[in-house]
Amino acid sequence: MPEPQGASLPDRLIVEDWDGLTFRVNRFAYRSEEIFERERAHIWARTWLYLGHETEVAEPNAFRTRVLGGRPLIFCRDSDGTVRAFLNACPHRGTVLCRENEGSTKLFQCFYHAWTFRNNGDVAAIPGKDAYEAAGEGFLDSMRLRSVPRLEIHEGFVFVAFDPDVPPLLEYLGDAADYMTMIREQHAAGMEVLPGTQLYSVRGNWKLAVENAMDGYHFSPTHNTFVGYLRETGFAVTDDDQYAYNLGNGHSLLVLTGHGGRISMLWEPRFGEDEKRRTEAHRAEMDERLGPERARYVADESHILFVFPNLLLFDLEGLSIRQLEPAAAGRTDVRAWQLAPRGEDEDTRALRMKTMVSFVGPGGLATPDDIEAYEAVQRGIEATAGDPRPGMDFSDMSRGMVDEVKGVQGRSIDEGAMRGFWRHWIKAIGAEDALAATGPRPAAFLEGRNVR
Amino acid sequence: MTRSTGTVKAGGREVTRAEVEDFLYEEADILDAWRYDDWLALFEPGARFEVPATDWKGESAFASGSFVTDDWDLLRARVKRLKSRKAHAENPPSRTHRMVTNVRLHEHDDPALLRVTAAFLIHRARDGEFDPYAGRYDHLLVVDGEGLRFRLRRAVLGHELLRPGGRLSFIL
Repeated sequence: MPEPQGASLPDRLIVEDWDGLTFRVNRFAYRSEEIFERERAHIWARTWLYLGHETEVAEPNAFRTRVLGGRPLIFCRDSDGTVRAFLNACPHRGTVLCRENEGSTKLFQCFYHAWTFRNNGDVAAIPGKDAYEAAGEGFLDSMRLRSVPRLEIHEGFVFVAFDPDVPPLLEYLGDAADYMTMIREQHAAGMEVLPGTQLYSVRGNWKLAVENAMDGYHFSPTHNTFVGYLRETGFAVTDDDQYAYNLGNGHSLLVLTGHGGRISMLWEPRFGEDEKRRTEAHRAEMDERLGPERARYVADESHILFVFPNLLLFDLEGLSIRQLEPAAAGRTDVRAWQLAPRGEDEDTRALRMKTMVSFVGPGGLATPDDIEAYEAVQRGIEATAGDPRPGMDFSDMSRGMVDEVKGVQGRSIDEGAMRGFWRHWIKAIGAEDALAATGPRPAAFLEGRNVR
Repeated sequence: MTRSTGTVKAGGREVTRAEVEDFLYEEADILDAWRYDDWLALFEPGARFEVPATDWKGESAFASGSFVTDDWDLLRARVKRLKSRKAHAENPPSRTHRMVTNVRLHEHDDPALLRVTAAFLIHRARDGEFDPYAGRYDHLLVVDGEGLRFRLRRAVLGHELLRPGGRLSFIL
């Protein structure tokens, strides 16, 4: 892949000062279309991306269309039951092949010239095929649907890569993989994605959405009204015992124990007495199935997991999957799904949906304030664009940096997970020289959870 | 709940389309004027407010993800939140302008109830932007001698997705 011209990038995209314990990010990184193009070329075209959950295409012949890194895709299960991802473009002249959002089909037919393909990618029919006779069978092979070069599945989460040379998925996920396993382990019957997708678009850079998810500091002021609602329903929100972890490869994790109850795992008063009994029974089953130590990690902690670059798993009161699709430097398309236990009883399911939707999503009582916050950042950072005074056009992410010097685990209400994200990001876009460090930089940064 | 007519018998009396239109127009004015206590008074206790996701195919709000699935407690919490200056996503409040049209009355199996469908177009001005929201209402109204109240207020967006800046921090 050709190297984009880096000449006009600012010399300093990230400034770390280990004497002053400050960490600053150049606001150019959120505004610039050049950075956006570089991210498309270096990140979206070269790393594993979350495509969807295999239960979204539960049955043979089920399909969905999706866009990743600007590329239209077909996500389907073929007639033999194999999960596949194709570029949604006719190999003939490039027409978008499948123009439905979802459905079931054995064949995809291009309306333009009626070329038809099986859902395993084979050519089924080309009208007037004899005109290509001279090219022989090799011609039909060359006109198979274009598969995405790599597709791997971990615990039902389907990832694809547009670069055939990415490392194996599990190697890429590293420590993040186990938190996805913990989600599957929550219920013996496994998890499934429910219908009803929250599809929305935000006037803000995708990295602001990542920062917001990894930022426990904003929770109380930004979500003042939601915290008030929780208090009224009998739950005391605390910042105690909440940590932020960098998991390597740009992945990060918040571990939250003072945040709220968890449907069917950790009871709180607003869930009601019936749910209390169900939770106790389920917890006993989990202790039996997973052992008490593992059950504690799976059930008693809320997790917010970020899998670089486009997947956020909100394992809170319930489970939401959020996928980020940068559409432009200042605009991000978001798709969010609810993930729920298969065969869950109706009362628990009703409680789950009510509880999750009340918090998460563009119509909830909390997410709109998050969106307001990072849309307001996107507008506000124009204020310092091109400011000739040194250091003006930078955002500060120094909070809790002293922990990194001491080698102590950072808290979720600090900004360590963001610093980890940015240190990985600048490598990922191939601009490591634009990280300017002064003072004695720690040889290595804390990663993973063994330090706790 | 089948036929749609200009007049429907519900709650032991005749309800006219004009009466239902007046109810919906009054609600639109209340919401555009940000009078949330008055808005809540249009609901019977125990009522629900739903905004399904844009790919909704008719599932119950408990079986499917949605934008809003408020029971009575959450509806009151939503109103309380919107009245707070700490509802940052609506501080300052959006300016909205609502149009309600294509109002139709439908008989319901429950003789106390009336199903009302209507089309809506809401324009919202916020942050220097001006965004349209179009869709249909599919409400259940309870009828008594006093008037009409919402038992279920459902706004179904006609959009394929929420456009940029389209978060539903106001009432649709």
